[in-house]
Amino acid sequence: MTRRPSQSPGGAQGPRPQPARLLLPESPRPVAALVVCGPQASLGSHGSDDSSPDNDIRNLWTRATLSQPELNVPRSKICDDSDAEGSSLGSKTRQWYSRKAGRESDGGWEEWEDGEDKDGFRREGLHEHLSLEMELRRGSILGSHLEEDVDSKTESEVSSSESSLSISKHTPHRAYWIEQQNRLPLPLMEVMENEALEILTKALWSYRSGIGRDHFLTKQLQRYIEGLKRRRSKRLHLVTY
Amino acid sequence: MKLKQGSFLWYLYLDKLYCLLSVRNVKALLEYFHLLDVHHNNTLNDVLFYHFLRHVTSWKRTQIMIVFNMLDWNAMGEIGFDQFYMLVCILLAQQNHLEEQFIFRHSRPVFELLDLDGELRIGADHFHMYNFLFNIKKQELRELYHDFDITGDRRLNYKEFKLFTIFTMDKYQEKQKAEKEQGKTAPLKKKRPHRFILSSKLF
Repeated sequence: MTRRPSQSPGGAQGPRPQPARLLLPESPRPVAALVVCGPQASLGSHGSDDSSPDNDIRNLWTRATLSQPELNVPRSKICDDSDAEGSSLGSKTRQWYSRKAGRESDGGWEEWEDGEDKDGFRREGLHEHLSLEMELRRGSILGSHLEEDVDSKTESEVSSSESSLSISKHTPHRAYWIEQQNRLPLPLMEVMENEALEILTKALWSYRSGIGRDHFLTKQLQRYIEGLKRRRSKRLHLVTY
Repeated sequence: MKLKQGSFLWYLYLDKLYCLLSVRNVKALLEYFHLLDVHHNNTLNDVLFYHFLRHVTSWKRTQIMIVFNMLDWNAMGEIGFDQFYMLVCILLAQQNHLEEQFIFRHSRPVFELLDLDGELRIGADHFHMYNFLFNIKKQELRELYHDFDITGDRRLNYKEFKLFTIFTMDKYQEKQKAEKEQGKTAPLKKKRPHRFILSSKLF
């Protein structure tokens, strides 16, 4: 294959691909849309057990996806600080559900939705398994290709967590809400590490058969895998006690 | 191609309009990349790359190696995070059936990826080699070269390629529109025969 030695990887002058450019869209809008998506702002006020909240990625997402009721905290904080519903999170969420139920019975949802019975599914999920429902919905959003579906869900989510007055005052950026609905899985680091372990274990077999057991790269990979396993078992140990 | 359900990439969200990952998702992806970067070179070698793609996609070995050679354009035998990010965006675009949109939005990087020889022109053979990435069918490829090869050299320069992306995007939007309209009218028509089948099974 003919290669071009004059071009540097990711160099701006060459015609070769520079995937990093994907972060810089052709129009200024996407930048705004994507920058808004970050949860850091909302999570900052929410921290409890972290020493370096924004630097460690594990802290970011594990706190961001604890459960459905907690998800409402940043939303309400962002969109309506004057919403005095009680100090504890539990009471807050209970009120949220009761208010939601009341609004549903009043037919207030029609104001926000197109008349479809989308909230029926959500109502069931919320009363039964909140976190499971969240997971499933995340999956369904990711799997589905209907943008309208996502939009309508997020819109209903907004309306359910806020009073109608506050929404009209502080409608958040649409992309922010979409991003909120598409959170990464709860034990993010665990998912990553488990997957990496599986991949690396297979790679280790290839290393052994390809370059031999005693090659320093094979040994390095083996040590790395053992380190990952230790880290995982330590964490599991911490979780159980 | 289908992403493995429940894998880390499966949870990432590609913006449908701009075909980009959010900063948060990129940050997570970087963390994931570092986990796979066993030798701490900020790169993945061909073995790690192969096992990664083998784990998360349904691609065959030959396809994976084609992709690796495409991304490793300077023949270093390794790919960096920039290339990895590009690959993940392509995978997610494919997973979400956003290939047309992706090519349209990122026509320049895609063109440069497909231009293996750096001649600023893409031959039909190169295009054909990577059609599994962007789901371009044989017939479409033939039409593409027939309709957009304005210079007549049987290769596409960037302008011709850009025209193609605009055209496919238009087609894609029309298709979506038609599907939407069909979706509005279809449920009523579809439900009736379904009920009939159910009732005929009962009796």
